[in-house]
Amino acid sequence: MQPALEWQVGEVTRVRTETPRTKTLTLALPKWMAHRPGQHYDVSLTAPDGYRTERSYSAASEPERAGEVDLTVERIDDGEVSPYLDDVLMPGDQLEVRGPIGGYFVWDVSLGGPLLLIGGGSGVVPLMAMLRHRAAQKAPIPARLLYSSRSAQEVIYRTEFERLADGDGELEVVFTFTRHAPPGWTGYQRRIDPAMLDEVMQSLGNGVRSYVCGPTLLVEAVSNALVAMGLPAGRVRTERFGPTGT
Amino acid sequence: MDDEVADMNMALMVDGNAVAGELQQIFGRDMTTAVARCAGCASDAEMGALLAFTRGPGVVLRCPTCRAAIARIVETTTAIYLDARGAAYVRMGSRP
Amino acid sequence: MISRGFFGRRRPAEVENRLPPGQYLVTDFPVLSAGPTPHTPLDRWSFTLEGLVGSPVSWSWDSFLKLPSQAFTVDISCVTKWTKLGTKWLGVSVDTLLQSVHVDGTARYVMAFSDGGYTTNVPLAEMVNGQAFIAYQFDDKPLAAVHGGPARLVVPHLYFWKSAKWVRGLRFIDHDEPGFWESLGYNMHGDPWKEERYSGD
Ligand SMILES: Cc1cc2nc3c(=O)[nH]c(=O)nc-3n(C[C@H](O)[C@H](O)[C@H](O)COP(=O)(O)OP(=O)(O)OC[C@H]3O[C@@H](n4cnc5c(N)ncnc54)[C@H](O)[C@@H]3O)c2cc1C
Ligand SMILES: [Zn+2]
Repeated sequence: MQPALEWQVGEVTRVRTETPRTKTLTLALPKWMAHRPGQHYDVSLTAPDGYRTERSYSAASEPERAGEVDLTVERIDDGEVSPYLDDVLMPGDQLEVRGPIGGYFVWDVSLGGPLLLIGGGSGVVPLMAMLRHRAAQKAPIPARLLYSSRSAQEVIYRTEFERLADGDGELEVVFTFTRHAPPGWTGYQRRIDPAMLDEVMQSLGNGVRSYVCGPTLLVEAVSNALVAMGLPAGRVRTERFGPTGT
Repeated sequence: MDDEVADMNMALMVDGNAVAGELQQIFGRDMTTAVARCAGCASDAEMGALLAFTRGPGVVLRCPTCRAAIARIVETTTAIYLDARGAAYVRMGSRP
Repeated sequence: MISRGFFGRRRPAEVENRLPPGQYLVTDFPVLSAGPTPHTPLDRWSFTLEGLVGSPVSWSWDSFLKLPSQAFTVDISCVTKWTKLGTKWLGVSVDTLLQSVHVDGTARYVMAFSDGGYTTNVPLAEMVNGQAFIAYQFDDKPLAAVHGGPARLVVPHLYFWKSAKWVRGLRFIDHDEPGFWESLGYNMHGDPWKEERYSGD
């Protein structure tokens, strides 16, 4: 039996700036439960006049970190909730959440690999939870992350990716920049396309499990391409974030 | 401009997994790995893989194969309504 | 729990009296989605009056555009709590359409039906006398598909879910029947000023 899904009030214990448009909030949760990497929390905001609104945010941290969870939020300028989370919330503030939620878009080491992770923008967040978990378990499961950002400045978790991939022969992190590549960049500079997917996947062999996450239109294009390339639809898991930036 | 607007309806679409919270509130368990069979085209899909339209008066979950409505959810001030007549059945393992 | 520093949406004092209870002002035009956008080619589009009428009548897109049209500017309120003021439309009033059919005296309600399977019910008495239109222009431009184009019903005095997008016809019936949202907890009538959101409101 799973415990009932209840709203609980978490406390913001840390706020870290990831990129000019993205912050990570650490929440201490009184009723913390270990999540499966890929799961999300629902966040609820209530105004003084009773107006309420909800959004979902993926757990960014690994479940091995007990008692708290990281949410990484990209600010959508004309959005209702993300500017509040990024610009108003401070350590000591309270935030109403429920979770962890959703057994569909999850991966843990017991599922094995090889693992193909494809993210656009903030879509990298649940994929990072998977990679942090994989590292915490020291599981030598072959994994590739293909991560599409507008520019190098917008890459979330950049130094941590470098650290994770460094000294892990089974993990490769590949970036593509859709608007501005850094000077001297010799890697991909375009939207993810079938040729890119093919190159990134080549060394992974058969039986790939793929997780595709980010703005809906990116997820749509990538998941269709993967299925067209012959991956069984059941091995292409998607998490569409809606109209977030590409 | 019109193209951009035309895409917004599509851009707002998410996965059934995005409404896992509402589903769990109704069923008392995670439903995203339960399999729904479409009453229209008989294809199976995990509920987390249904297409979810959430920016409206209620949530509409659609078949990824034929796009027919499989389930609709409305939360009023006093009740939650679930209409699943678009599903031939929903199958869940006995051990979630 | 009130979220510190979250003020949600606004009811500016200058327009407070134009906002129905529980509604907030928007200046953009939110998209309401219940399914994918249908794209019926105009040469296969038609608009039909059927049900309790002498004999059903249908217009092609070209013949529909030749009907006398009317510009109107109205405030619209969506049950998801936004209100948009002064929206500018062009369309054909239901009164004009009714000149082409004989509606049976027993007809009391109208079921609007749309591409994609959407339906919504409105009392016949609230569809006539300049209260309802089949609109095909918004803001002097063809109505975008995402907002219901090529043509949508506009019944501005009711919550906007009654203003069926992608509308293809009206069926006249002698009793009230719930449409797509009315069959799942939404109010049969939907007057924003009486805050008739849900059944029982
Ligand atoms: C399962 C899940 C997990 C997620 N995880 C993360 C995460 O880890 N990190 C993260 O940053 N985000 C995540 N998201 C996205 C997140 O939930 C929000 O959608 C995002 O933060 C934007 O919310 P907002 O309230 O700021 O913007 P919104 O107010 O929702 O608006 C977003 C954009 O869409 C436009 N828009 C919104 N509604 C409409 C409409 N009806 N018509 C026309 N335009 C509209 C707005 O103008 C704006 O440009 C996740 C989403 C899902 C479903
Ligand atoms: Zn189907």
